[in-house]
Amino acid sequence: MSVIATALANVFNPMCLFLIWFGTIIGIIFGSIPGLSATMAVVLFLPLTFSMEATQGLALLVGLYMGGISGGLISAILLKIPGTPSSISTVFDGGPMAEKGEAGRALGVGILYSFIGSVFGIVALIFIGPALAKVCLMFGAADYFGVAVFSLTIIAALSGKDLMKGLYAGLIGIALSLVGMAPIDAVTRYTFGNYQLLSGFDITVLLIGVFAVTDIIMAGFNRRTLSNRLQQKKYHLKGYGLSVKEFIQQIPNAFISSVIGVGIGILPGIGGSTAGLMAYTAEKSRSKYPEKFGTGIIDGIIASESANNAVIGGSLVPLLCMGIPGNTVAAIFMGGLQVHGISPGPLIYDKSGQYVYGIYFALLVAAVFMLIFERLGLPVFAKLLDIPKHILLPIIMVMCCVGAYSSNSRVFDVQCVLFFGLLGLFFKVFKIPSTPLIIGFILGSMFEENLRQALQASHGSWSIFVTRPISCAFLIIAVVFCTMTVRKNLKEKKAAAAAGQAFDTSEEEG
Amino acid sequence: MTNKVRNLLCSIIMLVFGVVMFVLALDIPHKIPSDVGSGYVPKFVALCIIVVAVVQLILTLTRKSPDDKKKEKLFDDAKGGIATIVLMVVYMLIFQPVGFICSSAIYLFTQIMLLSDNTNRKPLLFAAIAILLPVAVDALFVFVIKMPLPKGIIGF
Repeated sequence: MSVIATALANVFNPMCLFLIWFGTIIGIIFGSIPGLSATMAVVLFLPLTFSMEATQGLALLVGLYMGGISGGLISAILLKIPGTPSSISTVFDGGPMAEKGEAGRALGVGILYSFIGSVFGIVALIFIGPALAKVCLMFGAADYFGVAVFSLTIIAALSGKDLMKGLYAGLIGIALSLVGMAPIDAVTRYTFGNYQLLSGFDITVLLIGVFAVTDIIMAGFNRRTLSNRLQQKKYHLKGYGLSVKEFIQQIPNAFISSVIGVGIGILPGIGGSTAGLMAYTAEKSRSKYPEKFGTGIIDGIIASESANNAVIGGSLVPLLCMGIPGNTVAAIFMGGLQVHGISPGPLIYDKSGQYVYGIYFALLVAAVFMLIFERLGLPVFAKLLDIPKHILLPIIMVMCCVGAYSSNSRVFDVQCVLFFGLLGLFFKVFKIPSTPLIIGFILGSMFEENLRQALQASHGSWSIFVTRPISCAFLIIAVVFCTMTVRKNLKEKKAAAAAGQAFDTSEEEG
Repeated sequence: MTNKVRNLLCSIIMLVFGVVMFVLALDIPHKIPSDVGSGYVPKFVALCIIVVAVVQLILTLTRKSPDDKKKEKLFDDAKGGIATIVLMVVYMLIFQPVGFICSSAIYLFTQIMLLSDNTNRKPLLFAAIAILLPVAVDALFVFVIKMPLPKGIIGF
């Protein structure tokens, strides 16, 4: 109980509340402007949290994550362009509603159900998290190796439709994690005599480079289209644009969509856009009037927004209990936890309970702030869609350099940011997805450390990985998951080839 | 660049990367007898890269796909992209010796000018942003976060 009381006191102090509010507002801004993303917001502000008290730093990241995912609906409705991939399915009905002059109602409903979906996801996290952590307490090194192998198969799901390219990215990610001193025997590897590389690459630097700097370089390559302005729809809104009767009618829709969102969030490798699309499809097939979907009805917006926000709570379940980041923002969030000396895993509730409960409370506060301030600030956020990118992107570049420098107070990290930015450009040129790179980088050390510890414990016998039931189960699931993904990709590839269409290898990012 | 050329180039680059990584891993010393050694995982990862690259190379050379010959323009404006990279390299190089405020002001002004076009170019506004933003960020780091940014030879 004292842990909960400490967490409450930490979150409900003016500074922490201000940081959650600030994070939510900035997140909404990043989410609403197409080209910027929730991922970029969290990456950019991660170094700022280093000097903060752990709960405050995490509260800021929570606000950014919550606001970033929700903010996408503003441009999805007003510009018919999803601000973040999570809001893709919001465009289906949000766009037509705006065309009909109901943009305000669409925005109000979207904000309200983003809140409901978020709260549902947080409640699920609060109940599922501790139960899963208890199960994970039985895990040994061999079992964690199994978890790491299973988690690496996330790469298959994150590879877009080209598994080879996804594998390249994942393997390069693991290769980058090998730079510096090795675990167990501290042998130096791939440092090329540079002492700065002894501690390896910093996760923050890698994230800033790949997700922010690459986009700015790409803006240079596409500068002719940078100033293209899109026609913005006007809106009028009273309250949240929904009557009590409509609210009651939509309860089953919101519930089912939120459950889908939580489920998709817990499953590694699938993000908000899939959750939104699945919930939209599920609601359409369940509806008494499926023909109206896509013509501008609130049901579609409710399904999409409840599901993509419920993903937030769901994605934190495997992250906190097992240390498995299921999507890009969760991976960055993991970096934030580690910076503050919090090790995600089954012991997190015992060792860092006050921070975990702090995250719960911060999430709830961020959801409430999002509900209030996204609604109140709509006129401002709509105006921000007009900020010229040629000014905004260079400013973000400067912030990236400051962020990289402040992570370790060394210029070497600033130079690494550019190196990783160019690596991201290489990935874009060769259509290699970048999210598996991050997953590979994070899981690389977990994979190696547990493999070596388990083999030492078994005196070099590899049978330990199949004789321990948990490890064996995870390895089997990994094989099944990977096979299923490959089969699905091959099927889609064949279908695309039969239709004479090009095969898209694009990926999903926060 | 066609899809086929892209995949060929990609697999060749990755093959070279994998081979170099494997060769370097051979020199990693094995210190603890009961352990597989620090070179084990690097060799394994390098071999995986080599295998994936070889498989992709074979598939690209043997398989025919409808989008093989479809040419895609790599970049809309190569000059703008290369100039952006050059500006970033210069910014990184002068970040420490010139200091955060001056290097950022120079970078911001030139980068905004580069990304803008004749219809939206406002040098005075850009210069004001380029000076005020680094000063504000520096003040935030010095007075609020208490983490000074590089000062450089000029002293600010």
